[in-house]
Amino acid sequence: MDPRLSEEQEILRKSARDFLTEKCPKSLVREMEKDEKGYSPELWKEIADLGWMGLVFPEKYGGGGMSFLDLAILLEEMGRACFPGPFFSTVVLGGLPILYIGTDEQKEKYLPEIINGKAIFAMALTEADGTYNASSVKVKANADNGNYVINGTKLFIHDAYVADYFICVARTDDKAKDEDGITIFIVDAQSPGISITVLDTIARDKQCEVVFDNVKVPKENILGKLNQGWSEVQKIIERAAIAKCCEMLGGMEAVLDMTVAYVKERIQFDVPVGVFQAIQHHCVYMLLEVEGSRAGTYDAAWRISTGRPYSDEAAITKAWVSDAYQRVVALGTQSHGGVSIMEDHDLPRYFRRAKAAELLFGDARFHRKTVARKLGFKLA
Amino acid sequence: MDFELTPEEKAFQKELCEFLDKECNENVVAETLSMQGAGPYSKELIRKMGARRLLAPRWPVEYGGRAMGAMAEAIKVDEIISHHAPFPLDGVEIGNALLINGNEEQKKRFLPGVASGEIDIALGYTEPNAGSDVASVQLRAVEDGDHFILNGQKIYNSEAHVCEYHWLLTRTDPTAEKKHRGLSMFIVDLKSPGITIRPLYTMAGLRTNEVFYEDVQVPKENLVGEKNGGWVVIMSALYGGGGGGGLATGTKKVIDTLVKYVLEEKQDADENPWVPETMADIYIKTRIGELMGLQATAFADLGVTPLYGGGAMASRLLSGDTRRLLYNTAMQILGPYSQLAKDSKWAPLKGEILREYMDAPRWTIVHGSQEIQKLLIATRGLGLPRK
Repeated sequence: MDPRLSEEQEILRKSARDFLTEKCPKSLVREMEKDEKGYSPELWKEIADLGWMGLVFPEKYGGGGMSFLDLAILLEEMGRACFPGPFFSTVVLGGLPILYIGTDEQKEKYLPEIINGKAIFAMALTEADGTYNASSVKVKANADNGNYVINGTKLFIHDAYVADYFICVARTDDKAKDEDGITIFIVDAQSPGISITVLDTIARDKQCEVVFDNVKVPKENILGKLNQGWSEVQKIIERAAIAKCCEMLGGMEAVLDMTVAYVKERIQFDVPVGVFQAIQHHCVYMLLEVEGSRAGTYDAAWRISTGRPYSDEAAITKAWVSDAYQRVVALGTQSHGGVSIMEDHDLPRYFRRAKAAELLFGDARFHRKTVARKLGFKLA
Repeated sequence: MDFELTPEEKAFQKELCEFLDKECNENVVAETLSMQGAGPYSKELIRKMGARRLLAPRWPVEYGGRAMGAMAEAIKVDEIISHHAPFPLDGVEIGNALLINGNEEQKKRFLPGVASGEIDIALGYTEPNAGSDVASVQLRAVEDGDHFILNGQKIYNSEAHVCEYHWLLTRTDPTAEKKHRGLSMFIVDLKSPGITIRPLYTMAGLRTNEVFYEDVQVPKENLVGEKNGGWVVIMSALYGGGGGGGLATGTKKVIDTLVKYVLEEKQDADENPWVPETMADIYIKTRIGELMGLQATAFADLGVTPLYGGGAMASRLLSGDTRRLLYNTAMQILGPYSQLAKDSKWAPLKGEILREYMDAPRWTIVHGSQEIQKLLIATRGLGLPRK
């Protein structure tokens, strides 16, 4: 067993951190929270030039040919920096599903565009009930002269407003069981009939309502197999849950680091408040949450990277990390005191993102239910 | 990055598991569960393990070990606990400190005996007025020719009544300006005249001891490390080992047993929705604690300090908390039946849950209480100021 990063991975981490420290300060993060698009096209181009979008994709499409574990490192650093922009949507939710189940034509068409920063993807999965169950998918795609017509409303769709393409999950057979009539489509965002509204959310992370009104999609845009999309959607969710844990881990580390630094400096009762055991114990439990998150997250990311099964690990890790990030921001805020609940402080950036990330791809309760089923309990 | 055990570690795990499947019979298990200290069946098993070099895998081959790492030690502890084989074997833990601080003669004298299972050594740190503040020990050792003369009292020295030797922290300089500078470590033959061992019992029924020293003569060659240098020795024994924790096979077995019990015997999960979610929560905490411990152990074997120090101790904090949660939840699941002692015909799961519930608080206190662990994580791991 060797939990160390390789030398190349250490270099990747350091260069990512240095780059983001310089180019993605909290002032930019705050600016982007208010920005209509929610990201900086200049920064987007720079990270494309650095090869970040292509990192995990094969060299034959112009990518870096690196592993999910390398992507995990990048995501951790982006989480630490509160990186604003559609990177997660484009790479994890758009590019990876195309890489894993796309046809050769689809890969050749979309992956180079993703890699060079030209195409932004968004995943249109969740709907009105906001959950990740097969029964929640009610948007319909009806066959029409060999093509499909999509109708219905998707909700909480990150980065839809700036997307060039949607990975849209729709019901193609409503007579089959919930899991058996679902198909994944790649939809051009410029298609007539799509209307998008940005939602004002806790993390100001550009989640949208996306209405499909008779949107025509050619049948060659089916990603994977007709009516058999749900098992792949589950894999996308599990993979995304682990990838989101990487970001959350980076955010937690940032909160732990800023809290430890602050309590060493903040003087009350004539001593640094870090002397007090009440504060020390807060910091110790923050470390426990962070280290537990790292242990679970990297084990899971390594499993994806090496082709091992990761379904159990996705549930265990997302359940732990969802709760952990909440506890870390709560203890970090408590250790800082009043200064950290001011909107212009950095901590609220993480406080906001901790909740948004918890709710994505299944919160702790959702995943505990999954684990309970794996233990043998019969749950609906 | 690689999270698999090495082929050598897997082979060791398999060998030990198969050995204990066969040799850790019901007599041994009964002795372990009685918590009265290693009895005759347990001692026989320990000797058999020693003959196969299964007791001290980390030690050099010349002392009866296998020259493996902290991971092998973690595997050993995991297999012993999950088979209800005799534990603790403090002699091995003490031997780790002896390897660092002992002289060649002492290593040759004690280590092969511990590794072969012929002798065991009991910890002798705690006194009535020196618990977490271990540097406050008062048991006095006075130099007298070829000997030291020892007088005083130790408490909560488990297994002392079934061990051959005592790893004893004493005060050799009561005038030292800093109290931890006046300590010395000895290995004492527990059959020495003047030693009296009296039983004490925890609320779970676990036998521990108080040990009285009255003019006990200990030869100078039994001093470990320097005179007044005992603090260095105890630090290496308590915190120098690094890792050695992680695997949680025993806890996962208990979770499986409980889930099976709920599904087959007791309650319909649909009527008690808190049961599946709480059991899942316990499983998740167990698994995360396991991963933290394993990775900290792997870092220790590599001689690398991870990003934040204290990961191994943090995993101990988590597993201690999880143990309490597990057995409290188990008691709630069993309802009124959980209160029954094991001899009752109504006692479910052989009364094991009650015993473990009563024993769980011990684990967050012994070998450095959680509060001491938190102090060390805060000051050593995170670098927070002491004053």
